[in-house]
Amino acid sequence: MGHGHHEIEVKQEQFVFSPKAKRFSIILMVLGLILTGIGIATMDNHSENHNSTTVAAASHESHGEATVHGEEHGTAASASHEEEHGNVPNEKFGPRVVFHHQDKPASTRIWANMLIVGYFFLMISLTAVMWYAIQYVANAGWSSSIKRVPEAIMTFIPVAFVILMIALFMGKNEIYHWVHYEHLGLKPGDAGYDKVLVGKSGFLNSNMLFIFPTVLVVIWYVMMRKLRSLSVAEDNATKGDSSFFKKSISFSAGFAVLFGFTISVVAWLLIMSVDAHWYSTIFGFYNFVTHWVTMITIMAFIVAYLKKEGYLGIVTNEHMHDLGKFMFAFTVFWAYLWLSQYLLIWYAQIPEEMAYYQIRFEDYKANFLGNFFMCFCIPFLGLLMRSAKRNRYVLAIIGSIMIIGHYHDVWLMVTPGVFGTGMTFGFMEIGMLLLVGGIFMWWVFTALTKRGLIAVNHPFLEESVHHDVGV
Amino acid sequence: MGILDKKLSLRDRNKMLIGVWEDEDQLVATASKLVHAGVHIHDIYTPYPVHGLDRIIGARRSKLARIAFFCAITGFTLMTTMIWYMYVHDWPMNIGNKPVRFTPSWAPVMFEGTVLCTAFGMSFFFFWRNRLVHGIKNETLDIRQTDDRLIVAIETVAGMDEKAILDMMKKGGAVEMREFENGVQTVI
Repeated sequence: MGHGHHEIEVKQEQFVFSPKAKRFSIILMVLGLILTGIGIATMDNHSENHNSTTVAAASHESHGEATVHGEEHGTAASASHEEEHGNVPNEKFGPRVVFHHQDKPASTRIWANMLIVGYFFLMISLTAVMWYAIQYVANAGWSSSIKRVPEAIMTFIPVAFVILMIALFMGKNEIYHWVHYEHLGLKPGDAGYDKVLVGKSGFLNSNMLFIFPTVLVVIWYVMMRKLRSLSVAEDNATKGDSSFFKKSISFSAGFAVLFGFTISVVAWLLIMSVDAHWYSTIFGFYNFVTHWVTMITIMAFIVAYLKKEGYLGIVTNEHMHDLGKFMFAFTVFWAYLWLSQYLLIWYAQIPEEMAYYQIRFEDYKANFLGNFFMCFCIPFLGLLMRSAKRNRYVLAIIGSIMIIGHYHDVWLMVTPGVFGTGMTFGFMEIGMLLLVGGIFMWWVFTALTKRGLIAVNHPFLEESVHHDVGV
Repeated sequence: MGILDKKLSLRDRNKMLIGVWEDEDQLVATASKLVHAGVHIHDIYTPYPVHGLDRIIGARRSKLARIAFFCAITGFTLMTTMIWYMYVHDWPMNIGNKPVRFTPSWAPVMFEGTVLCTAFGMSFFFFWRNRLVHGIKNETLDIRQTDDRLIVAIETVAGMDEKAILDMMKKGGAVEMREFENGVQTVI
């Protein structure tokens, strides 16, 4: 059993990015590219109405017809639409925003999808740092044998950030109607003057859109690099030197506090602001948990893959079980936040809050309910049993559904706000996920080869070796 | 107390051999040796969980998780029926002009009811199964098993080589050994 008080010797392992895995990663990328191409080729092209010089004006016209605060707010089309559904909002707040995706130039869909996929993977790599930090702050021992996996995932921050920034730079006028509004330079009394957007312009302005995420991501990135370098320095130090471990705890605590407070702001600025009139205080945390549970699923996938390939000799089914528990627990937590946001808005029925759910519930009903099904019902029932959490095939099937479900969740946060009605989760969305997923896999597996797979000098490594959740 | 599991009462069993340990590593090693020698260990009492012991003495998985699941189903059904009866069937209430049937507002009630029944059900069954019910006489083999000693209890069966077992325990680091029969302990 090895239960003596003697030093155990854990051998260092070196991961090799096998040609088979490389091929799989390239297949993902190529398949993603093809699907994205099909998506672009088959999308409704209405750019004849929007040549490059009049994009902004044309789009605002269509926007203005239906937008909440425009003068023309009582259009017959939108009014009859309201009555059909028995939900006539208060005149004071204006009618429901009704616009169709054809009101935007076709290229918007590409930039919006890049925003979604960039944000998705940025948050996954950031939550990996958070996970890593929490293990240190909580003095967790069981996870020390798999800590190189989140350490590899977190290196994806710059790539995801670049994708996100390209999307913001190229598509900001079309994705965010407040950026577009900013360019109009309307004065009080002008037609289409929007008091709400002007009131928020201290935070929602295009300088902020680039500066805020850049500053934060740079700070997080520097702290991530520091944590990573402490980890590799520990490997090279003499055995029993816990100074790097202690330093890691301090940095982790700093990161956890900073990240916990600032991540909500990024979620508000990048995602919540596509519905700039709408707000939800739980939104940032809901975003965090969506990506957190996805990141844990991806981590479980990578650990299971490494086990299958014969690496990570000290990792047992007990560790997989704990990762399964994490997936299960945060599935429930995700549903809790999802319902908390929905229930309060549903009950209060305040028009400016309702707008967000009204379009999602009426025009995206299958997506809305399917999202809850993929992110909660299937994983909850699928991972409930102990034997399911300890079976890597069950984890693989449920985990894949969870990853697609949570990606679709982010899609559902952005798309109705940007395009209005009539969008589908189609080839381009899946293609982008596969494309960036392939790049992610390549990047993370390359990062795994850069250092040994086992943190041989971690003070709690022995605890992880003996980790046992009991019968 | 007829409903309680009589098999668990130490008083009604054969003579017990009791070994007292101070060190958990020695205990684990000895328990492993005893089991390999074919001795059936009745139970091991420790003040804190000792990893690996459950597997060594072949403890079956606790049924508590299954009980929790059935309590949860009960609570869920109970609360759904309750809210349906009160809120839809018996006295439909108009709150903010919201529909009454299967709305999001049911979720907190269902959730809380499920959690409540699960928590109380698990506690009840746990105490019942472990004979921790008011009025039951304390059957602690050694009061120090709740503090800093680890106690092994082996039930003797006909033809058992008691001497050999006691030797193994002695060699394995037992600081004390006793016999327990009809509620009386004798130091060996």
